[in-house]
Amino acid sequence: MIRRILALVKKEFLHLKGDWWLPAFMLFGGALELLAIGWATSRPITNLPMMIWDMDRTVASRNLVISLENTGVFTMTEPADSMAIIVDQMDRGKINAAVLIPHGFSQELESLGGEPVLQVILNGAESIPAREALRAVEGVVRSLDEKITIDHLGIDSEIFKGFDFSLRVWFNEALNDAFYTTPAELALMLEFTILLFAALTFSREKEFGTLEQLLVMPFSSLEIIIGKSIPVIMVGLIDFTLMLSLNSFAFHIPIRGSVLLLFTLAFMYILVELGKGMAISVFSKSQHQAFLLVFMVGMIDFLFTGYAAPVESMPKVIQYVSYLIPAHHWLNIMRGITLKGSTILDIMPSILYLLVLGGIIGFFSMRYIRKALD
Amino acid sequence: MLVLVTPTIVLLLMTYALAVDIQHVPIALVDYDQSATSRKFIQQITAGDDLDLFVNTRSIEEIEELLTRGKIKAAIIIGPSFSEDLLALRGLSLQIIIDGTEPETGGFAVDHIGWRAESFANDILADQILTSGIPLGSLQPIDLRIRSWYNPSLEPRVDLLPGLLSIVLGFPAFSVALTLAREHEHRTMEQLLATPITRIELLLGKIIPYILAGLVNVIVIPLIALAWFNVPFNGNFLEFLLLSVIFLFAELSMGMIIGVFMKSQSAALALSFLVVLFPGFFLTGIFFPIAALPEMARMESLFLPGTHYAIITRGVFLTGIGLDVLWPYAIMLIFLGLAFTGIAALFFKKKLA
Repeated sequence: MIRRILALVKKEFLHLKGDWWLPAFMLFGGALELLAIGWATSRPITNLPMMIWDMDRTVASRNLVISLENTGVFTMTEPADSMAIIVDQMDRGKINAAVLIPHGFSQELESLGGEPVLQVILNGAESIPAREALRAVEGVVRSLDEKITIDHLGIDSEIFKGFDFSLRVWFNEALNDAFYTTPAELALMLEFTILLFAALTFSREKEFGTLEQLLVMPFSSLEIIIGKSIPVIMVGLIDFTLMLSLNSFAFHIPIRGSVLLLFTLAFMYILVELGKGMAISVFSKSQHQAFLLVFMVGMIDFLFTGYAAPVESMPKVIQYVSYLIPAHHWLNIMRGITLKGSTILDIMPSILYLLVLGGIIGFFSMRYIRKALD
Repeated sequence: MLVLVTPTIVLLLMTYALAVDIQHVPIALVDYDQSATSRKFIQQITAGDDLDLFVNTRSIEEIEELLTRGKIKAAIIIGPSFSEDLLALRGLSLQIIIDGTEPETGGFAVDHIGWRAESFANDILADQILTSGIPLGSLQPIDLRIRSWYNPSLEPRVDLLPGLLSIVLGFPAFSVALTLAREHEHRTMEQLLATPITRIELLLGKIIPYILAGLVNVIVIPLIALAWFNVPFNGNFLEFLLLSVIFLFAELSMGMIIGVFMKSQSAALALSFLVVLFPGFFLTGIFFPIAALPEMARMESLFLPGTHYAIITRGVFLTGIGLDVLWPYAIMLIFLGLAFTGIAALFFKKKLA
């Protein structure tokens, strides 16, 4: 049996030999992409173009602008001298925010009981940078408020340091964005690689009409399935190893838990995705159809990796659906082991979910594939 | 069929799932002060829908365990001198711990706990000022008037839906790449070329059906956006249709290049993921603003049709601008489309010669 399976594995690799693009993408594509995208996006949001209309033109208003610049979030454009310019630049999407400092701002600021006004206009057409800009402006204004109050009250600033709390960030002390984004990007690339390769297994044979030849040979359906699985698992594991090393060496993401546990569970996860991919493969009539299905399934799964939005905050229905998505549990596991140093007990719920899902997916896809093969 | 419905289905799901409102963040509390002031503070912290008190404990170990298992996203530690420091205006003896593996939720918790703490401290300060008789209008003298244009409540789905359009309309590009690669894979390209159609005609013949499939989605999606998600459509629909055709031409030309170079469908799809899908997601300014990208990535984003189309869709849907403002992006898209088609045709000839 083992010799027959090995012969099948060899045959699968022979397919790849003719077209060296595919194995190259399979092995290195994901890793390279992870490197490029991780490098580009795992950084705080900075350089948002901001326009100032300073009608006050005093020391106080200039200091305010300097404080805004010092947050590092903004790049100041040419200052505005009319509302028309702000409207125009906003409409064109050239600026994310504008701050209007009205006449008499500093006067109101300095007088006891004065009411200084600041107007902030945000470009809501890009809500993510708009929220970031708002947060930065509010921070600047709040510390200015505090300073004014203390000045007015005549409290000794040596004694009163303001109402600041101390903040500690666990598992990610420097609040490095890469800690959060690259594991999700890794999961996305890994899933697509496995699904694509697994979907190829039977759909290609079907399209070329070679499946019948395979079936008349003295292989049992189980042997065929195992023979087709081994190359996918190998590619998946190599890919995972490559990307995980990149995460450690290029993005300095620690692995605080057990590496052995991580790889064991990665193996399990790869098997689950393999089952999904193979089911798609037998289900589809052509490679084109199989690939479009892979693509749709992969995109939907990506939503549950928490890349763009935390799953806990999604609508309730979607949260229930997330329990059915292997990638969701896998990310809990991976984030737990790498960032939090979770032990097997800490992540037991995710492991159990993954096992149950794997069991169900495996059972049905095996039955389905064997039925299709016999 | 799959080609026709995939973009709309994926867009709906994505908008629904990604446009979230963070609420009910589970937190834990340790109160070392155990005074009337600290209890009042705890009441204020948990008064809203934003933060849910998971447990009020006295053991740091328990907090550690809950954070590790992901049961809570943040913890508040009230120091033993909390009320004393506060009443003497010495500061705030308060520590906040957040789970740094989820910066989004953690940052939300910090902001919201911070606001509550600040207003709590300000109330105490105001009491003291009142008793001391200093005339002071307000503790937060600066009146910050914030207005958000085009999307007054800064709801993420309002700008995500038009932004994601550039991703889902890229799906037909995969099909273009796949059908071209299929001809190579099945060695039917030679037969096709034996017929009296020119190569450019052949390439255009391959993309036109998919441009049409994409256009069906361009018509359906704004309707769903309006009816289901309450996303406005302020621009001119005909201009939007025209700009969408130009975008589809540019985007599908990318698929054409891939299909010309790749000899198998699987390789074509893998390459499509690498050069169309993933960069489309991360480098076109939908989630991560272009301005914040490093210089080189910003240059690359200019060559992605999705970057220009995301500006167009947000402009047409939300800002309500038209061709008079958006023409530079249209020209850029036409240029990209022509360049990509040219490259595809050139290498197509070479490979077959």
